[in-house]
Amino acid sequence: MKDYLKRQQKLFTEAQQQRLEELNIMIAGTGGLGTNQALQLQRIGVNKIYLYDYDQVEVTNLNRQLCYGKNDIGRSKVEAAAEFLEQFDLATEITARNERITLETAVPADVDIIFDGLDNFESRFLLDQLAAKNEIAFIHAGIEEFFAQIMLVLPESKLRLKDVFAGSEKQKNPAVFSPAVTVTASIQVLEALKYLLGFDDYLENQLLHIDLLSSQMELIDLK
Amino acid sequence: MALKVKFYSLFRINLKTKGVEYEVEESITITELIKKLDQDFDGYFTQKLLEEDGTIARGTIILINGKNIFHLDKLETKVSDGDVVTLFPPSAGG
Repeated sequence: MKDYLKRQQKLFTEAQQQRLEELNIMIAGTGGLGTNQALQLQRIGVNKIYLYDYDQVEVTNLNRQLCYGKNDIGRSKVEAAAEFLEQFDLATEITARNERITLETAVPADVDIIFDGLDNFESRFLLDQLAAKNEIAFIHAGIEEFFAQIMLVLPESKLRLKDVFAGSEKQKNPAVFSPAVTVTASIQVLEALKYLLGFDDYLENQLLHIDLLSSQMELIDLK
Repeated sequence: MALKVKFYSLFRINLKTKGVEYEVEESITITELIKKLDQDFDGYFTQKLLEEDGTIARGTIILINGKNIFHLDKLETKVSDGDVVTLFPPSAGG
């Protein structure tokens, strides 16, 4: 076990901790959710993080996208995010892929799960199809104002994102801000870990609904 | 047994309730259910769930027992006592 992970040792069995340190994660979209996911996953000591985005940093990103500052405006998001994460000199390998995700994207063969860090449902439906095609687990999150939802889609799952969220496509830019985005990304990381490390309870055919105004999380059964 | 309608997100905040239950003797369509809800909530659901032409509005989710009505008979899908209808605007941002 890496020396800086000692304080989380009691949370996991030895086998779980070893598995955790072997995990390879693909983050699709390094915006609000994606940068928060990357920070958490690096801190807990996963083996490798692949960052995917094709966009450049804009000033309106800075209220929630934690890997960027004013000096990064105009830079490639994945390059700026990788540089930010690497400055901590932790063991997790960071790989930046400056490309748009399509159905033809070559998902690295060692990826254990794909994290949804996107900001619209059209792209998410495509990402979910890519995960299904590659038989890789996929964890969705969406955040808007004080509300969020998280859904884990297993490789063998017949219930895909579009089965639940058909009709969710919208034109307008949703309102998003840092505390709600960070909470959502953190729960997304936790839910993914529960599945990947073999905990008894994880989200299976359920949607986790998060209401930060009422301070409530609820499970919605899906079919 | 009753027909349960559950509200989430802004629907719950705006209406100050987690949902309602109706005793329905015969099955009703989602269109008819929206009319019932409108009577109880001052036209709120037609405004939130439907476009002006009466089709399902983009950016809202209607689940019946965990299934999206887009994959059933849309607004003509029938529900009855014992069913659970979940209504919420999904969060799209990131």
